[in-house]
Amino acid sequence: MKFKKTDLNEVLKTLAREYTVFAPIVENEEKKFMPWAESKDVEMEGLNTIKPPKDVLFPNVEKMYRYKMGLEGFIEEIFPEDTKRILFGIRPCDMRSIDSMDKVFLTKEYVDSYYAKRRDDATIVAFGCTEAGRTCFCESMGLNPNDAPSADVMMNVSADGEDYVLEARTEKGEELVKKLEGLITDGGEAKKDTKCSLVINKAEDLDKKLAKMFEHPIWDKVTKGCIGCGTCTFVCPTCYCFDIDSENYGAEGCKYRCWDSCMFSDYTRLAGGANPRPTKKERLRNRYMHKLSYFNERYGETLCVGCGRCVEKCPAHLDISEFIEKASAAELGKEDK
Amino acid sequence: MAIDHECSCSKNPLVPTLCKVIDVKQETPDVQTYTIQTVDGKKPFSPLPGQLAMISLLGVGEAMFSITAQGDDYIQSSIKRTGLLTEAFHEMQPGQQIGVRGPYGNHFPIDDFKGKDILFIGGGIGIAPVRSLIRYCLEHREDFGHLDILYGARSMNDICFKEDCLENWPKAPDTNVYITTDVPSEGWDGHVGFVPSYIEEVGFKPENKKVALCGPPIMITLSSASLLKMGFKKEDVITTLELRMKCGIGKCGRCNIGSKFVCLDGPVFSLAELDELPDEK
Ligand SMILES: Cc1cc2nc3c(=O)[nH]c(=O)nc-3n(C[C@H](O)[C@H](O)[C@H](O)COP(=O)(O)OP(=O)(O)OC[C@H]3O[C@@H](n4cnc5c(N)ncnc54)[C@H](O)[C@@H]3O)c2cc1C
Ligand code: SF4
Ligand code: SF4
Ligand code: FES
Repeated sequence: MKFKKTDLNEVLKTLAREYTVFAPIVENEEKKFMPWAESKDVEMEGLNTIKPPKDVLFPNVEKMYRYKMGLEGFIEEIFPEDTKRILFGIRPCDMRSIDSMDKVFLTKEYVDSYYAKRRDDATIVAFGCTEAGRTCFCESMGLNPNDAPSADVMMNVSADGEDYVLEARTEKGEELVKKLEGLITDGGEAKKDTKCSLVINKAEDLDKKLAKMFEHPIWDKVTKGCIGCGTCTFVCPTCYCFDIDSENYGAEGCKYRCWDSCMFSDYTRLAGGANPRPTKKERLRNRYMHKLSYFNERYGETLCVGCGRCVEKCPAHLDISEFIEKASAAELGKEDK
Repeated sequence: MAIDHECSCSKNPLVPTLCKVIDVKQETPDVQTYTIQTVDGKKPFSPLPGQLAMISLLGVGEAMFSITAQGDDYIQSSIKRTGLLTEAFHEMQPGQQIGVRGPYGNHFPIDDFKGKDILFIGGGIGIAPVRSLIRYCLEHREDFGHLDILYGARSMNDICFKEDCLENWPKAPDTNVYITTDVPSEGWDGHVGFVPSYIEEVGFKPENKKVALCGPPIMITLSSASLLKMGFKKEDVITTLELRMKCGIGKCGRCNIGSKFVCLDGPVFSLAELDELPDEK
């Protein structure tokens, strides 16, 4: 299936009649996922967005329940409504991040109701990259920049560059494609030859190796420049930690959750001031270990998808791809069992 | 298309149930025990020994506490005043409404304990989770062998659950109770000294015995060393961990040690299991 590139706006307009369509839109010289409107400037190709689209499923701040204090109180759930939406044109790395989020929020005994509702209501159209940024290394992490296996619809530029080629992969995807009748024609050959700019040497069993490297001297070196700003966790498509807090208005109030960062010093601080991760060394070690080893152990896949965002944006030039290479090449000491 | 949910809960697990405090008991100068019911007079839920409740004082904050006891229509938690939130808890009067969610976490391995002698060791407020297990064992007395309870508090005034420690438990069948205080205090003619040395002094035998050990980290470290020295095996010493928590359901990422989340996979671990985890406790 395919449609003409020049029909993109028509396609989005059709979909926007029934869904809120989040598309890569350029505003004030920055590309980000936001609700489409006819006046907006959509840019499918070019580099990925700086901010990942994760907030469509897991908002930066989300209200959880209202309450009233005192002797005649109440607790009233606030549940997301009207979340029928399409994520249009997310890249394979960001699709793979959503697979990881699904594991966190939908499995292991408890289902996170808020995430489940948004996820259920979302249809995802992934778009194969046509260009790789200078810090893109998803291929080294086992992904393919041209393909997102778990997307509802996979979309690529056609070989002749004139069309967008579609493949519906799930029921949700087929439903979406049906709505485009009249705009879509059969056939079309997808161009799938984009390569990552950054190729790194990652040991096959790095997750298991790292599990033995908790006390390795490598941590003293790689964590040196970090200033604990939390930028890396903010731009990471797979960082999902959240804080829970409340806001009061008189006797009533609202409990909400918001993104948090394991790079902040008070993240693990206990009453009385004790902190199991007192310095940036322990905090960065936890972040890297979580991405590359702990998550593998718990959920069976690595949590770094190689999108390169944290590498691009860290003000102190810390580089997880460089860490992966160093750790892959590191010698295990006697103590690293 | 619905997503495959692997779910053990019927409702939103992050929204608490509205409950009320029906009784407040001053245990020590800085510990109070709260008896808690839903607003319509029911038991909020039925926890297993060692499980946790996330209790929120609406408008102030929310934190995790051990459930120290339960009855047909209530649960109990004991809270030590240590900071802003717990300070506010201590202002509560009977009738105060609170939010409660849970029960969270794993529990003491009661099935492994069956048929065994049990040594309970508590330090300070750490006696709270141990008490839930002691109560369970006393309610199912015939399932367990000889019981030893060793509890250390700072001074006589700091002994929590005085009725249980000084009256009820010493009278329980085939049960010995050893209480010690860190420092001498007026009116206290019991043992004085720290928990680890008292453990060695009494000289408990490791044969056919399981240990439940809870208290401040330093006491757990030193008591574990004493027990291992006395021949107890790491598999037989069960303790609890305390890390900062937010969600209580293994989602928010807050309480991990390595790949484990203490709120979901813990808080109860054997010393052998702790050995497997990175040293970040
Ligand atoms: C598994 C577990 C079981 C616990 N059982 C008990 C118990 O039975 N009785 C008891 O008195 N205390 C218990 N605690 C500790 C209790 O949660 C903290 O003392 C309390 O959160 C600290 O609040 P605060 O007012 O002293 O600190 P504040 O300075 O007001 O802290 C604010 C926030 O910090 C977090 N926090 C700070 N210290 C801790 C901590 N040690 N553990 C978890 N979160 C913390 C909480 O989210 C709290 O809302 C337990 C903690 C855990 C993790
Ligand atoms: S972005 Fe860089 S400096 Fe900031 S917390 Fe992350 S690693 Fe540290
Ligand atoms: S850790 Fe960095 S490179 Fe890896 S997924 Fe997160 S932002 Fe992308
Ligand atoms: S408290 Fe949220 S993961 Fe444990």
